[in-house]
Amino acid sequence: MSGSGLRSFVARRLLLGAAQTVAVVLLVFALTEALPGDAAIALAGDQPDPERVAAIREALLLDRPVLERLGDWAAGLAHGDFGTSLASGRPVSRYIADGFGPTLLLAALTVALLVPIGFGLGVLAARHEGGLVDRLVSGLTLAVYAVPEFALGVLLVTVFALRLGWLPPTAVGYGTDLLAHPAALVLPVLVLLSRPVCSLVRLVRAGMVDALASPYAAHARRYGVPGARVRYAHALPNALAPAAQQLARTVDWLLCGVIVVEALFVVPGLGTVLLNAVAERDVPVVQGLAVVFGVLTVVLNLGADVIAHRLAPRAGVAA
Amino acid sequence: MKRYDDEDGRSAGEPLAEIVDLRVEVGGRVIVDGVGLRALPGRVTALVGASGSGKTTTGLALLGEFPAGARVTGRVRVAAGGPVGYVPQHPAAVLNPARRVSALLMDIARAQVRDLPRPARRAAARERVLRALADAQLPDGETLLRRYPHQLSGGQQQRVVLAQALLLGARVVVADEPTTGQDALTKSRVVDQLAAVAARGFAVVLLSHDLDVVRALADEIHVMRAGRIVESGRAQRVWLAPRHEWTRELLRSRPSLPDTTEPDRPEDATEKGRPEDAEEQGRPKEGAEPDRPEDATEQGRPKAAAVPVLRVRNLIARHRDGSRRGAAVAVRASELALYAGQCLAVVGRSGSGKTTLARCLAGLHRDHDGEVLLDSAPLPRSLRDRRRDQLAAVQYVFQDARAAFDEHRPVLSQVARTAVRLRGADPGAAEAEALTTLARLGLPAELVRRRPARLSGGELQRAALARALLAQPRVLLCDEITSGLDTVTRRGILDVLTALLDGDDGLSLVLITHDLDTAAVAHRVAVLDDGQIVEQGPTHRILTAPRHPFTASLTAAAAPRGRATGPG
Repeated sequence: MSGSGLRSFVARRLLLGAAQTVAVVLLVFALTEALPGDAAIALAGDQPDPERVAAIREALLLDRPVLERLGDWAAGLAHGDFGTSLASGRPVSRYIADGFGPTLLLAALTVALLVPIGFGLGVLAARHEGGLVDRLVSGLTLAVYAVPEFALGVLLVTVFALRLGWLPPTAVGYGTDLLAHPAALVLPVLVLLSRPVCSLVRLVRAGMVDALASPYAAHARRYGVPGARVRYAHALPNALAPAAQQLARTVDWLLCGVIVVEALFVVPGLGTVLLNAVAERDVPVVQGLAVVFGVLTVVLNLGADVIAHRLAPRAGVAA
Repeated sequence: MKRYDDEDGRSAGEPLAEIVDLRVEVGGRVIVDGVGLRALPGRVTALVGASGSGKTTTGLALLGEFPAGARVTGRVRVAAGGPVGYVPQHPAAVLNPARRVSALLMDIARAQVRDLPRPARRAAARERVLRALADAQLPDGETLLRRYPHQLSGGQQQRVVLAQALLLGARVVVADEPTTGQDALTKSRVVDQLAAVAARGFAVVLLSHDLDVVRALADEIHVMRAGRIVESGRAQRVWLAPRHEWTRELLRSRPSLPDTTEPDRPEDATEKGRPEDAEEQGRPKEGAEPDRPEDATEQGRPKAAAVPVLRVRNLIARHRDGSRRGAAVAVRASELALYAGQCLAVVGRSGSGKTTLARCLAGLHRDHDGEVLLDSAPLPRSLRDRRRDQLAAVQYVFQDARAAFDEHRPVLSQVARTAVRLRGADPGAAEAEALTTLARLGLPAELVRRRPARLSGGELQRAALARALLAQPRVLLCDEITSGLDTVTRRGILDVLTALLDGDDGLSLVLITHDLDTAAVAHRVAVLDDGQIVEQGPTHRILTAPRHPFTASLTAAAAPRGRATGPG
């Protein structure tokens, strides 16, 4: 595909992505509306006195029609204003900014470890295809992959935090500046890493087995190109395209706040913010997060597609 | 194995590579036995034989490569232990699809400039690469290096692979089936290319079952059969006076153009149901007129007398190009008709739209205007919209028979499945019918109970034909089903096809091919160039007196090696 072809592809995908984000926001809005109860009831707390609830509702402007509220919010969004939280009155953008720090930190650390481990183990297993190393790596990754995050998290907390006492069990009390307390990050990162590493290793291994058995790899070896160079410079690029797509999905999953892990370790990230907002029926916060998550997903997947196109130029013709 | 040395009167210097008494055995099966050859500088040494005769194993032995788990005895010596270049059958396969052309070339060159100071290495390596590309007749190296393999034409890919060998400093180049599956024009270009390499003092070892190419290039011929060299000698001598029975059979199996009225055709073809015979017998059960005029040999089927089985009207097929709104027109066919019991060959170079046309007929390519009529009733464009009997009526046989079979299930059950799926036959009856049909095509029951991997390419292609036949089709679309097969196997498949036409079920064939020799078995030929039908008419007329310049260029390219000195 030519450069202009690529540009028009990106433009079309961005338009489509914008439409998808709008659809997600509408859906989230409709679903939150459909839930029983609203922010007023949640704020009224233990004494849901009808009069008190009605007063709160009026104060929060919740008594206006649904479409009007949605329209106001959308108009604000066009100016970069995410609205204010119903529960606390603070701007939604603050919520997002506060939650984004810890989530981004966790995601960055996880990806920084995920890429070298995933590709390294995948190439290693493919190089010894059928051998002991391969069986060990393949068996282990399959086993770990089968364990859900919450189970692994509970297991790790029990062993390393409660029994051995080496690491803090949760991030409670450290605030949002988690980098100052690296010990609190070890267990969450391990849990976040566990399943993505396995799927990445298996994908890279499968791609590399094919690539190493290919005629072009044999041809490079035949003409005296050293083994490591054949593996990393000639075979690996062919195994990268599916791995890049998988990596984009993983980053997306990490950035959108892994609710289970954040809740388990009480990390004040986006997942926790989302969980609280839903519990309090704090519609503006939920919608703000839906916008952020939608945009992230669109951009990351587009990036992965562009990279995959670079790595498998032939496939691009049909894109 | 000494014989050929004596016959070569010319002095050609020391051999650059030599194989002495090579024996390769894998799992108790002997693949190559007692093979010896010498590759002399400036000469083309050809290993000729059917597929599976051990040519490739012998050729790869020169590169020091053997099948996994092979037991090897004998001696392979390459002068100065130097590298040996390899030009494989499909050059695209050895070019890395995810890397630019420059990647491997630069890696090879970099190893040669290690002794230079570091800053100078890159420029020196690049200069070597460009020189090698120029030597391989690729003048515009700078732009070419930035391309990906899929952005090159087939010819450029082949020259890039050759450039790799030249850059390596190889003095011996092994070319493995370099022309298989290529059209006549491409073939002659490959021949020129290899001749140029030999002329520059390289020793070329040519592995081929394509006798035309061997004839054009070889100085020395070794005929292989079942792992042994059965005959060796100077090309001229082997060609004119073959000593071994197998060599004679190999030479005889080359189909020649039908000189329909002349009696000097190869004698074995007359009884086997050549197209003219089929024509003469006629097929009264098809259509309303049992006694049509039968002087159809020159004219094809008289159009007024019958309704065609399959008719194409104003077909314009497109290929969507993802990024653009418009679409490239791939095929334009305003009128094409196929009559019952006839064979229509669609001939053209690769990329001319032959396969797209066939895919339109089969309902595999939906993006087209115009009509495809089966017995005057329009066929839905998409396979999915066709009724079961419409599906059964038009069957497709693909070029790559191995890819067309599920490797995990026995061939027989896959063949029988057609009758169950498309005709509602019960499984038992379907299997019996499959066995009969397969036997008719020369495949015994014990063979077809195996999985596809244990059948040869030719056997699988027969099985693919049988599978299509079980649908009891009206029209069989054969897409390059003989390219990639050696001459003997190809002849066998073509015989099967002509026998099918002779059968009394009124089957019609569309034969997609780039090979004029294969097209010769058809009654009519349509020539495609760049998506347009430039000429169509009776086979004999098209092949002997082409009217369109493109057809003329095709027949001319095939001529010097195709017919000039046919044996017998």
